[in-house]
Amino acid sequence: MGASILTAKNLSKVVPSAEGELTILHELSLELNKGDSLAIVGASGSGKSTLLGLLAGLDLPSSGEVTLAGQGLSNLDEDQRARIRAEHVGFVFQSFQLLDSLNALENVMLPLELDGRKDARERATELLQRVGLGQRLTHSPRQLSGGEQQRVAIARAFAAEPDVLFADEPTGNLDSHTGERISDLLFELNQESGTTLVLVTHDERLAHRCRRLIRLEAGLLVAPLEP
Amino acid sequence: MASLPLLRLFSLAIRQLLRDARAGELRVLFFALLVAVAASTAIGYFGARLNGAMMLRATEFLGADLVLEGSSPARTEQVRSGTELGLEHAQVVEFSSVIATDNGIQLSSIKAADDVYPLRGELKSAPAPFAPEEPGGGPKPGEAWVEARLLTALDLKIGDSIDVGMKTLKLARVLTYEPDRAGNFYSLTPRVLINLSDIEATGVVQPGSRVSYRELWRGNASALETYRQLIKPGLAANQQIQDARDGNRQIGGALGKAERYLNMASLVAVLLSGVAVALSATRFATRRFDASALLRCLGLSRRETMVLFSLQLTVLGLLASVSGALLGWLAQLGLFALLHDLLPTDVPPGGLLPAIAGIGTGLVALAGFALPPLAALGRVPPLRVLRRDMLPIPSSTWIVYGAALGALGLIMWRLSLDLLLTFALLGGGVIAALVLGGLLLLLLKSLRRMLARAALPWRLGLGQLLRHPLAAAGQALAFGLILLSMALIALLRGELLDTWQNQLPKNAPNYFALNILPADKQAFTDRLMELSAQSAPLYPVVPGRLISINGQPVQDIVSKDSAGDRAIQRDLSLTWAADLPEGNKLTAGNWWDQQPADEIPGVSVEGKVAESLKLKLGDHMVFTVGGANREAKVTSLREINWDNFQPNFFMIFQPGTLKDLPATYLTSFYLAAGHDQQIVDLSRSFPAVTILQVEALLAQLRSILGQVTLAVEYVLLFVLAAGMAVLFSGLQATLDERIRQGALLRALGAERQLLVRARRIEFGLLGAVSGLLAALGSELVSMVLYRYAFDLPWHPHPWLLVLPLIGAVLIGGAGVFGTRRALNASPLTVLREG
Repeated sequence: MGASILTAKNLSKVVPSAEGELTILHELSLELNKGDSLAIVGASGSGKSTLLGLLAGLDLPSSGEVTLAGQGLSNLDEDQRARIRAEHVGFVFQSFQLLDSLNALENVMLPLELDGRKDARERATELLQRVGLGQRLTHSPRQLSGGEQQRVAIARAFAAEPDVLFADEPTGNLDSHTGERISDLLFELNQESGTTLVLVTHDERLAHRCRRLIRLEAGLLVAPLEP
Repeated sequence: MASLPLLRLFSLAIRQLLRDARAGELRVLFFALLVAVAASTAIGYFGARLNGAMMLRATEFLGADLVLEGSSPARTEQVRSGTELGLEHAQVVEFSSVIATDNGIQLSSIKAADDVYPLRGELKSAPAPFAPEEPGGGPKPGEAWVEARLLTALDLKIGDSIDVGMKTLKLARVLTYEPDRAGNFYSLTPRVLINLSDIEATGVVQPGSRVSYRELWRGNASALETYRQLIKPGLAANQQIQDARDGNRQIGGALGKAERYLNMASLVAVLLSGVAVALSATRFATRRFDASALLRCLGLSRRETMVLFSLQLTVLGLLASVSGALLGWLAQLGLFALLHDLLPTDVPPGGLLPAIAGIGTGLVALAGFALPPLAALGRVPPLRVLRRDMLPIPSSTWIVYGAALGALGLIMWRLSLDLLLTFALLGGGVIAALVLGGLLLLLLKSLRRMLARAALPWRLGLGQLLRHPLAAAGQALAFGLILLSMALIALLRGELLDTWQNQLPKNAPNYFALNILPADKQAFTDRLMELSAQSAPLYPVVPGRLISINGQPVQDIVSKDSAGDRAIQRDLSLTWAADLPEGNKLTAGNWWDQQPADEIPGVSVEGKVAESLKLKLGDHMVFTVGGANREAKVTSLREINWDNFQPNFFMIFQPGTLKDLPATYLTSFYLAAGHDQQIVDLSRSFPAVTILQVEALLAQLRSILGQVTLAVEYVLLFVLAAGMAVLFSGLQATLDERIRQGALLRALGAERQLLVRARRIEFGLLGAVSGLLAALGSELVSMVLYRYAFDLPWHPHPWLLVLPLIGAVLIGGAGVFGTRRALNASPLTVLREG
């Protein structure tokens, strides 16, 4: 078992609401090692996306601490957390989230450029070829199908060789056949690069492809399933 | 599904509107409409009320708001309809009569006025010659107030009696100022003012005698206008209506100019507001494509969908317009309250028209620019629900946009009543927009190729512009229009008003000296030199009347109410001069050389009079001068700058022509304030000379100029507000997209600084391009305006080239500010989207 890359200690998230304070996450702890894969499942509103946001440093917890690649996130400001993300984190979203103003190649180059890498263009081209879009480099996102857009997003997620890859319902907007092929691609690349994968999904089949699985119910960890 | 009744559609429309109220684009549309209507209403009120105030002051020079003048008494029904409208009424009768005493005779100009005269302004008089003057009052029955020069001419003093016709009157006071005298500086005979009740007793006014009857009216503008329309059809051939504009040539000209300047500034604001509404209305409609498709899927017919959205727009439009009009009305109230020290106290309320025009502007702009995309909505295929990329088929959109522009033009024209100005602004604007927009599109497309290898912030910033070159070009045009409007107003405030101010020199003559006898000529000139007064040359004056042109009596030639008509109604001041006087410009023919005169001497005629007398070069005229007929031939036509307060003449003869006739001399001079005693001394030394102070008139002109300047500056504020509405309407349209992008970039690890830099590049570049467009457009529009609207020589304005810089800073700053929500958007937003 390798060194831990991502730990969460006693994470809670409380937000104000019309009926007083609303607890979205309650005292949640977990630890992930390099190369691990974790699926977070649960009903809508159970706090999955909130947990993902906290783990990725997109948001700060009300209490508790997230440590990503050896750095505690709570004491960092938004720009410092952005730098950690640029260096260590990749994302795949349900709605692909490609920038319309950039073409496929430029979308994949983006995290490399944010990381200040000189070989952005070469590396991005390589990755797009790897996901089977070598012929679509200069297409704009609007010219691509949903499955193709998600491939670009996956290429973008792996481009900067992140330590941790967060995927939020990566197949949620795709038909089952395309979804299957996208998840294959995701796990293949994960294996090849030894990245830690954190996956939020409704799809039990996809969830069970991960080595570990946690189930959330109303902000509580109810079933930490170890493989 | 059976078709829905209108009421059901209406309630559906209202419910949807309430639900949509939270959506950004609805609020922006509302705001744009609010600003548009508020701006045009406030400016409308400001302009109308200020204009009213200026007119009010100008009416002083008429002694009334409106005058019905005729050579016979006004008919009873003409007077009755005025009093029935609640107008105040005064009567004046003017005629010439000889005043005879033991010491001699003097032709005088008698004015008989009733007790309420004057209705505007006040008489001023003194208890004795050169005593301090006091305002107010008027001659009582049995009294006469006379000009000091009559006392001199007939060796009379206050308390003596004179006979006017068969009536003996007591000299009560020295008349020093009549408000309605200003238009008539050069009347050569001294004034005698008597009470109207004495007129019958004089026995002078008989059928056939040359008399001018003046019915003076005062009241509110609408009643006056009603009265004018009422009596206009029944005017006899010898009657005419005068208002402030006719009262005095200089004031009339200045008012006309002031109106034009204010109009132009207002039109710019209205145009800009229209653009703001257009931008957000288009967006409102395009955002409803999905909703429209969904409704069609749910079974609404095309027509019902259209009616539904039209109802929404109507309700929204009415709400925003009425609140906008109210806001505009309040804004101008506040403005007048702030400015009460600078403005006349009796500013008339503006009536309802500006508010209605304001609401009209908003609704027409809304309909004009929201309807074309709305019409497209009806054609949204229901399939769009399934396939988002299916856009409605474009139709004859151009025609509809053309109609919208036409409607906007109509509003501008209604507001300004100035077709030329409207065409210049709107037409110039449209042509400039099309040409410059085309160029811009080419530029953007070529930029796209160069951009492939630029640094990341540049690609992010420019990518935004280049992704939709058409939208970017439209945005640049809209922002360009803001800068163009500001440049035009700056041009107006600076250059045009300065030009006007310069036409009104600081040391414009403030005194006229009339009736200088030939024997006193040298001495008077020397005294003026001693006083170091800046004097115009002394012009000889011989009174004469024009009788015929090319053998035809002049009465048969001129049309009623024309300048020519007024010129032949009274004695003309004929003069002669070797050189063309200052402020005169030849428009046809040649000025005479020093050669000996032809058999028939030449005469140079003022252009406007020549026009209404239908005079051409070479025409033969006969004047009666000093009881004999004199012939003359038109050798040149002149244009006169009436603003310069120099002695000006309709007819200038060739030197030597009238030399054998008894002439007096006339001049104008400038003497700084505080020399009252010197003027009194001057009058004492030359008792025959009439010295008229025209300071009041000059002050009036300066005050009009000052008020216009002020008004233009305030209009600039509204232009800025409208400009901001355009800017933020434009930005709002892209905000959702930017928030999503900002959040995504941050999630991917971009620092805030990168986003800020990308935005700065995007908006800075957009601003610079807009500035360039504005600089070119301003020059184009100013060229048209100078040439056709203001009749001024045009020259290039290199300072306009700072506009790209201003644009970059302004649009850049506002752009980053307006989209700051996108910078601060939590990266978490990207997760919520899914």
